[in-house]
This record gives sequence, structure tokens and C-alpha cells, in this order.
Amino acid sequence: MSTEFTRREWLAATAAAAGAAVLTGCTRQVPLQSSKVSIVRTAAYDQGIYDTMRRVLEEHQVDIRGRSVLLKPNLVEFEPESSINTNPLLVHATFEAFRAMGASQVRIAEGPGHRRNTLDLADAAGYFKIVPHFEDLFVDLNLDDVSRIHPTRQFSRLEKLYLPHSALNADLLVSIAKMKTHHWTGATLTMKNLFGTVPSGIYGWPKNVLHWAGIEECIADLHAAFPRQFGIVDGIVGMEGNGPIQGVAKHVGVLVAGSDPVAVDATCCRIMRIDPYKIGYLRLASGEMPTRLSEANIHQIGEGIATVASPFDLPPDLPGIRLEES
Amino acid sequence: MSIESLVSKQNRDGGWPYVKGRSWTEPTAYAVLALLAEGEMESAKRGLDWIRSIQRPDGGWPPQTGVDESTWVTSVVLLLPRQFLGPSIHARAIDWVLGTTGKESTILYRIRERLLGNPRGPEVEFPGWPWVPGAAAWVGPTALSILALEKERLRKDTPSIRKRIEQGQHFLLSRMCVGGGWNHGSVRALGYESRPYPETTGMGLAALRGVSSPKVESAVAVAREFLSECRSADALNWLRLGLMAHGQMPAGYCPPPEVAYRTVPETSLGMLVAAIEIQHNLIWG
Repeated sequence: MSTEFTRREWLAATAAAAGAAVLTGCTRQVPLQSSKVSIVRTAAYDQGIYDTMRRVLEEHQVDIRGRSVLLKPNLVEFEPESSINTNPLLVHATFEAFRAMGASQVRIAEGPGHRRNTLDLADAAGYFKIVPHFEDLFVDLNLDDVSRIHPTRQFSRLEKLYLPHSALNADLLVSIAKMKTHHWTGATLTMKNLFGTVPSGIYGWPKNVLHWAGIEECIADLHAAFPRQFGIVDGIVGMEGNGPIQGVAKHVGVLVAGSDPVAVDATCCRIMRIDPYKIGYLRLASGEMPTRLSEANIHQIGEGIATVASPFDLPPDLPGIRLEES
Repeated sequence: MSIESLVSKQNRDGGWPYVKGRSWTEPTAYAVLALLAEGEMESAKRGLDWIRSIQRPDGGWPPQTGVDESTWVTSVVLLLPRQFLGPSIHARAIDWVLGTTGKESTILYRIRERLLGNPRGPEVEFPGWPWVPGAAAWVGPTALSILALEKERLRKDTPSIRKRIEQGQHFLLSRMCVGGGWNHGSVRALGYESRPYPETTGMGLAALRGVSSPKVESAVAVAREFLSECRSADALNWLRLGLMAHGQMPAGYCPPPEVAYRTVPETSLGMLVAAIEIQHNLIWG
């Protein structure tokens, strides 16, 4: 898969990298590559999402012809009226867009951490109604065959990590998250959504072993375990306050997308008025290049952050993650 | 799903997948139980051979071959009759279950918490069982472990078995949601009261067979309410087992026709529940 930069984008990326190096007082040469992130105003879950998603993927020049795609929404609870789950219309629109772009196979997969009955959960969330032949397209990642993986870089104390074949073997893993606050990590977006790739058939419901091994660190581990990702965040209606379960619906009216999950999540944090540098897993994943989180190093396509930003009520125990106005 | 259909899903190695693919321990154990209840011995024997072949040196079972760790599925295997597993295999598995607790109950963890000055909540008084060693105890694996040990207690009542069963049942009672029934394990989490789930409520009640208290009565009431509205096969199986354990299953109940039995455990447990209703009790022994 290639994501090609135009000459203009290369110039912009180089200038941004140079600027960031000056700003951070960096003395050594760190090659920085600007990540493209789309911010698209999307007022409601309606048929317009189909055009929007096709346009977004074309903007990112995602070359998926003849390759397999796995869409990973966020399914949490049996609460169809709440803003807890990724909206099925967005998932279906993404499904159709990848098919139209020539993907050889597009499947939908999830491994919820709370409830065993995944397909019943998907049914309650409206997936059977919205996605034709949903059951044939769906993989329950909790019950999929697994292999042990050895990440190139490990952050957590997990001794062994087993992951499902459907996720490991996909040419592109597309995390379609909900824009939500999270009482432990501050925000749950495309990277935290990868917890759903960890098989409960091995680790149980909930996947408590990840909590003991360090939530932030496990998110960074999972990010490293899947090198071919694309991230989409459903911020049409997100969740604020005591998320990701007990929070309150928050209409933001945006979709955010890009091939660098760190950049996508950092951008979402800014839209939510959360400081991405205060989100532990973003710091871990940006590793030796914390400037990767810098707004200057993220090439925004579409709307600017300031025009769509909408402060989310923060989780009660995390008042310190608010993004200070500059 | 019929017995024939269940048999048709058996892998060549003798085990069963959840839906399709490689063999897993949990679906294989439930499938064998269902086949034994139906007297379908040939297929059950192949399943038992597979299960016996993958027991780990520590006495437990991995969820799937290739997974280098014994987990909660060991308790599911122990629901199988001892004579079919073999006495030695069975005894080592019982030892594994008896030696496993949630991390919060281990001495090292308690010392650490005391040194850190963290208050000890009443909910950590009684050790339950984790899904995976090294993690906390939860309702699901605790209920399964109690069922496994209860079965053994009927055969051989020892103080250590009785103690762990009682501790496990206290664990369940202490983790019950305020209005009755069970969530995964926390009565209160992150500033709000946990709501009960149908599947864990059924599991909790099944493991509290023979225990009567106002708390159990409130859980029964929650389970009956879930039973009338729930459309999930897994949840309905456990709700029925839980209510049967307390003689509270509504007479003449039939699962709604729209309920989809999609996985091998859902199908097998559904068969087992039906078999228990006609006195082929392979769950409690």
C-alpha cells in the first residue's frame, strides 16, 4: 500500500519538521514526516456519509486494489440509543468505499471486552439492519484463531500477546473508533479501539490482563503490532464526561481520518480540547519523536481544528488533561 | 442445531471450533458434555481424546493449542465426568483450580497494597478465580470454578475443596449488583453502580446452587426478568441453568424462536439445558 505525497506536501512536511526541531531545541537530526489527517464536517448519520468516506479515502490515496481490508468498529454495550458504539452507517459507508476502490476482500470484525455475545451486540447496535449480509462479513475477534506475536517494540509488562489471525493477516486494519473520553486514559480513539483485537477467548471478559500490564503501554504495544493501519473516528456524535460507557452524548459533527493513528488521535484530542501530550499512550507511541504529536507536524486536510473544536467535559478524575488555550 | 449438526462441526483432530477454524478447549468441552448427555459416544470419545492430549504439565488447559498458558477453560473441562477424563488427569486439574486465585488475593499483592496504604475493600476478602493467572478474579471464571469443584465435592468432600467453594460463593455474594444479579465483578466501578448482565447473573446463580439468602432471592428476581426479555442464546442458557439451580425456572418455558444459537458453546449448552430439564444432569453431577 502506498500513500504518496505531492511535491507541495513534501515541502510543507519538511518546513514543519524544521520548524518543530527549532521549537523543541532539538540538536540532532530527526527525520520527520508529516502525517495527513482529514477533518470533515458531517452533521448527521445520513446517506451523505457514503460520498464523504469515498472522498476521504481518495484524498489519502489509499491504494488497496486487490488487497484485504479489516474494518474494526467499537462495539461495547447493548445500548443502541446511546453514543457508545461506532455508528453502523459509517462502518457500512467505509465498507462500500473500500470495495469501490478495488479491495479484494472487506470484512468487519470486533472483539468486545464486556459481552460474550458479540453478534447479538452488533444486532442491537443496528449492524444487521444497516449492513447487508452482515453475519457473512463479520468476524468475532474474541473467537478467531490466534497466534503469538513478538512486537518489534514492547511497552507493557505483558509476557505473551496472542492476536487473531483475521487482524494479523489483513493487508490493512482500519480502526473505526468513536470519539469518546475515557476515565483511565483520557480519550479513547483509534489506538485504544485496538483493545478489541485482543481475543477474549484467551484473556476473558473483560480483558483484565491488559489492565494489569498497563493500559497505556498495552495500547502502544497493539499500535506497534499492526503496522498497516488506517484510522477513522466517528465524531459525529461522541461521548463526553465519564466515558467510554457512562458518559453523555456530545454532538461534534466531524469525521477524522488518516493513515497514521497517532496523528489521527492527536488531532481528535485537539478537537476535544484535550492535550495530546498528556495522553500517555500517544507519548509512548510517538516514542523518540514527541514532535510527531505537534500540530505543526500534522498536515490537516479539510476543516481546521479551530473551526470544529468543541471542548468535551473531561472524566471526573482527569481534569489536568485539558488543552490550554495558546 | 441438532446433534448431527454438532458432530458435523467436529474438527479432524477431535476438537471443536467456536464457529469454524481450529479446535478450542471451551467449545470442545461443552460439545462433549452435550454429546454425552445424548449418548453420542463415538464423537464424544474423539473429543475427549483431544482434550486429554492438550492438558498442560501444570494440570490446566490452554484455551487453544499453541497458547502457552493454562486459563479459566480448565474449569470448563472439569465439568466433564471424571471417569471420562481419567483420574490422574482430573486430579491434576483439580489441583490447578485449587491453586489459582485472583491476583488481588495473593499475599504479595496484599503486602504491596498495605505498604502503599491502600484501603482494603470488603470485596477483596474472598478469593475468586481469574480468567488468566496474574489478573483479578471475576464472576464468570469464579462461577465456572465453583461448578467444577462442586462436582468434585460430591465425589470426595475435602476441607480444601469445601473452603474454596465457600470462598468463591462469598466472592459472588459480595460482588452482587445493588439491585441483584451480577456484572463482571465490580459492584461499583468508576463512580457508578454496575448494572447486572443476564449471562453473568445466570452463571452466578448456577454457582450458588443450595445457597439461600435474600441476596440470592433478589438475583433470582433479576434473572426471571432477564429471561422474559433476553434474546441472546448464551445469556438464555445461563439464565435457565441459574434458575434451575434454585428451582425457579418458569414452568413450560420455551426460548423465543428468534434466538440464534451461533457458536458451538451456545448450541451445546442449549442441548445440555434441555437435557437437564429431562433429568440428564451433567452440569451439577
